[in-house]
Amino acid sequence: MIMNDIRIGVYVCWCGTNIAKMVDVEKISEELATLPNVVIAKNYKYMCSDPGQDLIIQDIKEHKLNRVVVAACSPRIHELTFRKALEHAGLNPYMFEMANIREQVSWVHTDRTEATKKAKSLVAAAINRVNYHEALDKRKVEIDPSTLVIGGGISGMTAALELAGAGKDVFLIEKSKELGGYAARLDLTFPYFYSASQMIRPVINKVLHHEHIKVFTEAEIEEIFGYIGSYQAKIRQNGSSIELKFGNIIVATGLKPFNPSVINEYGYGRLPDVITSLEFEEMLKSGRILTKEGKIPGSVAIIHCVGSRNKNYHDYCSRTCCNTALKYANQIKSALPETHVYQLYADMRAFGKGCEELYAKTSRKNVIFMMFDQRGKLPEVRKAGENDGCNLLINFHELLSSSDVEVPVDLVVLMTAMEAHENARDIARAAGISMCGNEFYIEKHPKLDPVATTTDGVYIVGTCQSPKDIPDSVSQAKAAAARILATISKGEVEVEVTTAAVNEDICCGCQTCVKVCPYSAISYIEERNVSHVNEILCKGCGTCGSACPSGAIRCRHFTDRQILSQIEGLMEMILLEEEN
Amino acid sequence: MSYKPKIVAFLCNWCSYTGADLAGTSRMKYAPNIRIIRVMCSGRVEPTFVLKSFREGADGVMILGCHPGDCHYHEGNYKCLRRYHLLKKFLLQMGLEEERLRLEWISASEGKQFAELVDEFTSQITALGPCKVKETVETIL
Repeated sequence: MIMNDIRIGVYVCWCGTNIAKMVDVEKISEELATLPNVVIAKNYKYMCSDPGQDLIIQDIKEHKLNRVVVAACSPRIHELTFRKALEHAGLNPYMFEMANIREQVSWVHTDRTEATKKAKSLVAAAINRVNYHEALDKRKVEIDPSTLVIGGGISGMTAALELAGAGKDVFLIEKSKELGGYAARLDLTFPYFYSASQMIRPVINKVLHHEHIKVFTEAEIEEIFGYIGSYQAKIRQNGSSIELKFGNIIVATGLKPFNPSVINEYGYGRLPDVITSLEFEEMLKSGRILTKEGKIPGSVAIIHCVGSRNKNYHDYCSRTCCNTALKYANQIKSALPETHVYQLYADMRAFGKGCEELYAKTSRKNVIFMMFDQRGKLPEVRKAGENDGCNLLINFHELLSSSDVEVPVDLVVLMTAMEAHENARDIARAAGISMCGNEFYIEKHPKLDPVATTTDGVYIVGTCQSPKDIPDSVSQAKAAAARILATISKGEVEVEVTTAAVNEDICCGCQTCVKVCPYSAISYIEERNVSHVNEILCKGCGTCGSACPSGAIRCRHFTDRQILSQIEGLMEMILLEEEN
Repeated sequence: MSYKPKIVAFLCNWCSYTGADLAGTSRMKYAPNIRIIRVMCSGRVEPTFVLKSFREGADGVMILGCHPGDCHYHEGNYKCLRRYHLLKKFLLQMGLEEERLRLEWISASEGKQFAELVDEFTSQITALGPCKVKETVETIL
């Protein structure tokens, strides 16, 4: 079926050389120009750039386009960008379809002919689909000005204070007995040696006594439902269930330190004088650096990358350990000037403001830096003999001198990796956040939106997103708060309308849809013997649409007709290419 | 000309489509036969979509969703799983090899598993040879 008044513009992006080197973008745009209803087909270096978007806007006006297809990167990255461009040109944003020819073509294939064929069929499918697109109105929802913050560490508290400072109510949920998180358990911070507790204590007090912040300690999230502007949660505190209503969510569930007892070489748990960095912080806070026997250590070894940057544990860098290890060297040297300090590192990564300077300063303090091979055999810590004159011996191959060495020490500090909190998965499920393989949360865009998530109104801050230090966590927390304040000040927000709708003329009242809806968004209206979708509750998964035996349910923007025509366009083009 | 299998895949937006994107951002390489159609949830995949793909000439169809328990919409993947088993029976009755249809779970972080799965499924469909549905239907009509 070809409708007459449809005018499609097709735009194939080069993405610099990202797409163009593997896909013949010029050939595609030229050949697809001949497809039915395609008025114009162009290719351009960067479609997402301002001139690229202007190209679309100009053509919509000049050629009276009423449908647009862009073949470029993943729609997860730029679908909204182009929808906005359509809106600028006065076209309904849903008259748009995107073909993913970068992440799913040019970056994953090596044969240019095959990649070009594939890209062409995907664009043809998008063109066929867009023929059946229909204008959808955006729905506006009011924003409840209060916010739920999950996690009472430095990130969660900072975000809460920002919001409360603007006069907005905050519910702060903390799983443990006290606020402060891991930052409160540190002694000094790097690189300037400020006392962590002197920084955190006033923040905790402010949060506890703020008129706009309600703190729930020893509380856990049971369930979250709703959508941006109008969320609800059930929380459990002291055995009782509390219900809260709010408009946005900040997730700040934080970190869990890596348990080093799984690394046999280091002997943690077996050798009493092998301790973790967090245990060493406790020691520093108490002001007494001592071995288990209560003696002042003659030498201390600090082992880096414990659980980080190692394919057996975590691939990622935990970002704070190198600088913390440098801090320890300074603290030991200032408390016990006679004590030798050995840094056993894999690579020194003293990045960040003032941190390289700290590294330079530390290396002038008679601290010995030794390098081990993280990919090879790890240093082995063992109990020293009675005549060795020390508690422990560390054997490893030192890379800088290219020799096997034995280091006699009395105390070993393991710089343990940061892992995502053990509750991260439960919270992800409740709030609708996706996770990376290593349990850290996935942000909406890795570069351009590292604060939001793919669920509107849900933000991630601090170490639940990735390992980070205090200033990075605080920046992210303030950014999330600013984003929420911006939506609150607008008063309402536009939400997707890709919900399901029932055609009452076809509906036979079998209520299959009522049973499959995960959000209880569909109800049965007895007097008319039909089902009805509550569009506020519907999240547009489409499960009802595929279960409906009479085809009475339309899943807007993913209608049967749209998907079937996509399949048709796709297969037609593949077969056509095969013939040639 | 040597036989190149045509594969249509329906991927849910939240887990598997993101996983396929990750394979791209990580520059993993896999066979180019697969053509991906995005749906919001694997629960949206109607049997009709699968049958339509075979009817139009696909040699293999994949449905990829979130791992059990991880569905963005709570349980759409379970609904998909139930339909999948019925659909496989139906395909058998229609004289198709049931191996031509696959349902798998790919999370947003499993770019590598996605690439491996595509290669594995592509070689499976290559071994099965061309699907005759389109040809047969068109002879009857």
